[in-house]
Amino acid sequence: MTLSDVKDGGQFVIKSVLATGEIRRRLIDMGFIRGAQGKVLREALLRDPIELQLKGYKVSVRRAEAKQIVIEDQAL
Amino acid sequence: MMSARPGARMKWRHRRSRIKHAPDDIIRIAIAGNPNAGKTSIFNALTGQSQHVGNYPGVTVEQKIGRIDYDGYTLEFVDLPGTYSLSAFSIEEMVARDFVLREKPDVIIDVLDSTNLERNLYLCLQFQELGMPIVGVLNMSDEARRNGISIDEKQLGIILGIPFVKTIGSRGIGMQELLGKTLAVAQGRIPSNVRHLNYGVELETQHNRIIQSLQSDPTFVDNFPPHWIAIKLLENDSDAVTKIQKQHVSSESVLATAHDSREWIRKHFGEDSEIVVGEQRYAYIHGACREVVQTEESPNRSDYTEMIDRIVLNKYCGLGIFVGIMFMIYQLTFKLGRPLSDYIDHLFGWIQTVVQSILPNGIIKDLIVEGIIGGVGGVLVFFPIVVLLFLGLSFLEDTGYLARAAFVMDKFMHLFGLHGRSFIPMMVSTGCAVPGVMSARTLVNPKDRVLTIMIAPLMMCSAKTPVIAMLTAAFFPKYAGTVFWSIWIIGWLVSLLIAKLFRNTIYKGEASPFVMELPPYRMPTLRGIFTHMWEKSWSYVKKAGTFILAASIIIWFILYFPRSQETVQSYQNKMGVLTTAYTEHLATLTSENERQLVTEQYLQQVSIIQNQLARDELEHSVGGRLGRFIEPMFKPCGFDWRLDIALMAGFAAKEVIISTMGIVYGIGESDLEADIAGEHIASPLKQKLSNDPHYHPGNMLALMIFVLIYVPCLATLAVVKKELGKWRYPLFLAGYTLFFAWLLAVIVFQGTRLLGIGG
Repeated sequence: MTLSDVKDGGQFVIKSVLATGEIRRRLIDMGFIRGAQGKVLREALLRDPIELQLKGYKVSVRRAEAKQIVIEDQAL
Repeated sequence: MMSARPGARMKWRHRRSRIKHAPDDIIRIAIAGNPNAGKTSIFNALTGQSQHVGNYPGVTVEQKIGRIDYDGYTLEFVDLPGTYSLSAFSIEEMVARDFVLREKPDVIIDVLDSTNLERNLYLCLQFQELGMPIVGVLNMSDEARRNGISIDEKQLGIILGIPFVKTIGSRGIGMQELLGKTLAVAQGRIPSNVRHLNYGVELETQHNRIIQSLQSDPTFVDNFPPHWIAIKLLENDSDAVTKIQKQHVSSESVLATAHDSREWIRKHFGEDSEIVVGEQRYAYIHGACREVVQTEESPNRSDYTEMIDRIVLNKYCGLGIFVGIMFMIYQLTFKLGRPLSDYIDHLFGWIQTVVQSILPNGIIKDLIVEGIIGGVGGVLVFFPIVVLLFLGLSFLEDTGYLARAAFVMDKFMHLFGLHGRSFIPMMVSTGCAVPGVMSARTLVNPKDRVLTIMIAPLMMCSAKTPVIAMLTAAFFPKYAGTVFWSIWIIGWLVSLLIAKLFRNTIYKGEASPFVMELPPYRMPTLRGIFTHMWEKSWSYVKKAGTFILAASIIIWFILYFPRSQETVQSYQNKMGVLTTAYTEHLATLTSENERQLVTEQYLQQVSIIQNQLARDELEHSVGGRLGRFIEPMFKPCGFDWRLDIALMAGFAAKEVIISTMGIVYGIGESDLEADIAGEHIASPLKQKLSNDPHYHPGNMLALMIFVLIYVPCLATLAVVKKELGKWRYPLFLAGYTLFFAWLLAVIVFQGTRLLGIGG
């Protein structure tokens, strides 16, 4: 299950990041690491990008990026 | 927890750390921090008015420096670009880390957003890993308190080995304490350059292996902190690898060791070492924060940012709100800015008239009046628009809305290979491409930014508008509105499609991350907005201005020289004959009415002769001859040499196309006012053009498309050079737009011929 599957308002715990290169580096630096908890706040008009609450801040990612972030199956 | 090997780092530190005792010493301080952490407000609060702006060596990232005297010392502050990390992917991050490595400032002040401490500390600890003495600034402490977050800064300092100060940058609170701690750190009274972060036994062992391997080259270890390089090698950082390859004597064995270590970590942890290092860093920070940060969930506290976002980023309202806000900014910029621009334009026109009447006739006078004063006016005419645009954009940026705008527009723009933030430069360019190109600064990723700058000038701008409007009115009188707006839309379509084309060809490659912080909404300070606005506007005048001025003078030369004495002489003779005849005729007349009639006729003939002289001189000039020379090239578009000259003059500024056509047709400047205003159907140029058998709807449609797309005006090219730093960008922009304009004009012209429209 990936972050892209989480519905608006749903919570998640990150399991791993599949992306490579610059996107992976950026995701790690911004706190997308194993065990990080967050919540999907909303999506934009064409379902893309999506806005998340991660740790203490808000961040947006494209759906293509969200698909590369694997989350724990058991939602909180 | 002390670092495992103080020895190695001490050696590096030893060379550079001059303890500051003597009061005359300059203490050099770099101010770093995440974007949106309030770095600018801290920098302003510390340095006051004593700032100047420059560039970091080799890049177009702006560097602000400010100096103050404090306690008998001179403190020099450098504002580093806002970054989240120190990886090798973005220009800003490379600039920040290279500055620290090369310039070795005495202290780094790291500005942290207290409401989001964990992610902000991630950068802070990386500076510590570089072996730098740090003072941590817990900024926005008032906001944190309101959010129920309390931080024990003393305890945090003990855990991380960094002194921390609580501040409210926007109100200048905490600056004295910050200066005191900074000085203490610079003097070595508070140690803060020793890494406390521990990566755990397994990583530390691998880390030590790499450090040992690095020690084989003492010079290298002297130049770069080995601890930091070793961590970067574990993270497989491309820049660290390059540094080893270029500067380490036994680079192969170091890289082999690093590779072994990474492989070992991957096997042991089941993850790439890059991820493991990041995780450990965050785990360490998380542990520290658990001890010193307490968050109180108070029931009556409301999350304003979330409340606003619920409306502003609402799936369905979001787009409308964005369009509304952009419309307001656009109106503010152009509705308010254009009269101011006109005022400046008139002012320079007036100066020209005055100077014209003072100086004696000749080349010097023409150079000063038309070349220099005209050129300076050409720079300053944009100034009010640039200022107002940046006023609006700085406001949006400082409130936190700009990131939301990118969120709303991203999907649509991404279809064409652009970024959500690309929309703003394109939109602004429909007013004027000069501020449009400048507004592309909000694009963080260099590739996105270059691509956006390359296509934004294709929009219909306010200088192309009168040209297109005049042509539509002359050749499509019945459908003028429809044709005009179709051309306007073609501008958008062509630029989006070219963006898509470029993204799939020359700007191909790995997608850049969109991952973007949506900062909390904040009330911007007036000072912050005006500082931003002023810095950007002034850099336009200073850098782009000089180039625009130089280029206008060059264009003036091309269209002015060589002068033919014979032509001038023959016109003077004509004029002499005319005047003699007139005076003689006048003497024979007695009736006041007749005298007046004759005088009017005389003046009319004088202006005809003057216009003919102007036309002949233009044709005779380098530019005029070039127009004839390139005629065969533009034949397939249906243009003759007269249009070619006008288009060439349009390099200086698009609206010049009309006045040059006027000269080519021998129409005086005063008559042209009507054409430029575009209101009178019967204006002289329009009539001349529509009566000319060479011109018909077919080649005029091609001309309109050509004017829309071909080489942006000099001011735009100058700003592109200034913004992107290298000549190849404006040259490529000029080259490709010329090619596409030509191609489309040929297609349109030949197409209309096949369809049997016009000649």
